[in-house]
Amino acid sequence: MKKIFSILSIAILVTAFSACSDDENGSSGNTLVLEFDNVVGTSNLVLNTSDQPYTNDHEEAFNVTWLTYYVSNIKLKREDGTVYEDKIKSDGSAGYYLVDEADAESHEITLKNIPAGDYTEVTFTIGVDANQVDQGAQTGPLDPANGLFWSWNSGYIFMAIEGTSPVCTEEGNAFAYHVGGYKEDPENENLINNIKTFTLSFKGDTAPVKADHQPQVHIIFDVLKFFKGTGANISFASNAARHTPKACEDIAGNIEGAFVVDHIHAD
Amino acid sequence: MRLKVILSGSVLGVIALMAFDFHVFNRPVELKLPSNFPEPVYDFKTNPLTEAGIQLGKELFYDGKLSRTGVVSCGFCHQQPSAFTHHGHEVSHGVDDRLGKRNSLPISNLIWMKTFFWDGGVNHLDFVPLNPMENPLEMDETLENVLKKLNESEHYRAAFRQAFGVDEIKSTEFLKALSQFTATLISANSRYDKYVRNEGAQLTAQELNGLALFKSKCSSCHATDLFTDGSYRNNGITSDFRFDKGREEVTSDVTDRGKFKVPSLRNVEYTDPYMHDGRLTSLEEVLNHYSDGVKISETLDPLLLKDGRPGIALTESEKADIITFLKTLTDKEFLADKRFSEY
Repeated sequence: MKKIFSILSIAILVTAFSACSDDENGSSGNTLVLEFDNVVGTSNLVLNTSDQPYTNDHEEAFNVTWLTYYVSNIKLKREDGTVYEDKIKSDGSAGYYLVDEADAESHEITLKNIPAGDYTEVTFTIGVDANQVDQGAQTGPLDPANGLFWSWNSGYIFMAIEGTSPVCTEEGNAFAYHVGGYKEDPENENLINNIKTFTLSFKGDTAPVKADHQPQVHIIFDVLKFFKGTGANISFASNAARHTPKACEDIAGNIEGAFVVDHIHAD
Repeated sequence: MRLKVILSGSVLGVIALMAFDFHVFNRPVELKLPSNFPEPVYDFKTNPLTEAGIQLGKELFYDGKLSRTGVVSCGFCHQQPSAFTHHGHEVSHGVDDRLGKRNSLPISNLIWMKTFFWDGGVNHLDFVPLNPMENPLEMDETLENVLKKLNESEHYRAAFRQAFGVDEIKSTEFLKALSQFTATLISANSRYDKYVRNEGAQLTAQELNGLALFKSKCSSCHATDLFTDGSYRNNGITSDFRFDKGREEVTSDVTDRGKFKVPSLRNVEYTDPYMHDGRLTSLEEVLNHYSDGVKISETLDPLLLKDGRPGIALTESEKADIITFLKTLTDKEFLADKRFSEY
C-alpha cells in the first residue's frame, strides 16, 4: 500500500511540474514579436558616443546617453476585425514592458498564446496609467528599482531621453527630457495626462500568426521625430532639463508621430 | 474503495504541501479597526498582513541599512515616545548630520491617509519609504543599493522567504513589508477615543469645553476622529515661501504656494515642535499663532481671514481649554506599545 501511495504522489508531482513548464515557455500557443528599433533619422541609434554625431532640426549637434520608454495595453487587430488584448496583471507582472536602448533583450516584446490569424494593426500605450500607479508597490518592469519612479511625486517617467549637446546650457551640456504625468485636474492646469495611446497600421501588410510561425512586427522609434513633431520643435539651447508633466506636455505631443511600423517579417 | 480513499487523501496531502509550504509558520493578521474611524484607504488585498510580514517590516523600520551611512534608520527620526516624530528637532536630521528642510511628521493611522508628506507628493503608503531613503539630506541611499545589502544578508533572505515566499528580495516585497508594519501603527485608544466610544472614560468640564471650542473653531480642517481632512492649506505661519513653496513644489501650481498638509493632532502633546518647519515649540505658541500670528499672503486659507481680519478669535481661557482637550488625544498605550518598540 505504501508503495502505491508514493508512486501516486510522484506521478501527481511530475504532472504538476510538467504542466508548469509548458506554461512558462509558451510552446502551447502562437506568438508574435513586436520589435522596437530606436533610430536617429536614417542612422541607427548608438548610445554614449564620444562625439555628438546627430543633428536636430535646429542644426544642433547631440548624442544620446539614455533612452527608455514604457509600452503597455497592447492590442492586435485581425483582418476580420477581432481584437486580441495582451493581458495586464494588477501587480505589474504582466502587460507592461520597459524598452531600454541599453538592453537589447528589451527591444523585443514577445506576445504569447495569441489566436491564429492575419493581423493588420497594433495599438499600444506609451505610459503607465493611474490604475497601475494607485496599486502601490509593483513588480517586473514597474519595479521602482528600475529608476523610472518619481519618489517625490508618485508616478512613472514614461519616456526618458538624455544626452548632451554643445548648445545646452545645463551642467555638462546635458539635456534630459523625462515625460510623465498620468492624471489631469480640471482645477490645476499643471497636472497633465501625458499618456499616449495610438494605433499603428501595418499599411496593407499582414502578420500571419499560426503554428510554427513567429511573425515579427518591426516598429521604428525615430529620435529626430521625437524632437520635432506636431507638439514641438525642441531646441537644446534652452529649457533642456524637463522633469515635470507640464514641462513635457509639448514634447509628449511628438511621441505618436515618432513611432511607425516599418515592415513585417512574416516568419 | 479503500484505494480511492487513500488516493484522494494523498492528492490532498500533496496539494496541501504545495499550497502552504511557506505559509505554515506565517499566520494572517487582521487589524482591529476603531469603530469611530472611517473605512481605511489602504487596500489590504494587495498586501495581506501576516505575522512574519509585520515583524520583518518592523526590523526594516529600525535598520540603519536603509541609509547610506548605515546609521540613520526610519526610527531615527520617527521615535515612538514622540508618537513617531523627532522630538526636539525642527527639521529632519539625516546622514552626516545633514538637515532637511521640513519637520518630520508623526506616524500613526497611515492606512486612512490618501496622500503622504507635507506636500502630498506621495499617493500610496507603499511608496512612502522611497522618499526619505533617496533624499540626499535624509538617508541618501538608493533603492538598488538597499536591496543589494538586504540580499547579502542571510538573515533577511530567510525573513523575506518566510514572509513572502521569495528567494530574491525585490522592491515589491521590501516596500510591502514596511507597509505591513506601518499599517499596524494605529493610535485610537486615547481618553478622547474611549469617551466617544462610550468605553467608560469621562472628560472633565474644562476638557469638554475645549472639545466644544475645538469643534467650532478648529475641526473644519482637523476633521473627523483622524483630526485632519487631508487637505493642503496655507495657515499663515509665514508669508515668505522662497525657501519652501509647499504643495506647489509637487503641483507646479502657484495657487498651491505655501500650502501644507493639515496634520493629524493625535498625540499632539508629544509631537513638538510644530508646523512644517518646526518653528513652534509648544501648544501655547500654536494657539497664539492662530489667534494673533497669522500672516496674510495670496494663498492664505479663507477660513483664516474672516472680515479682513487674519486668524481665529480666541480668548486666553478658550486657548487653555482647547489645549486641555488636545491632551486627551494622547494615547499612552500607543506610545508604549511593545509591538512597535525598537527594543
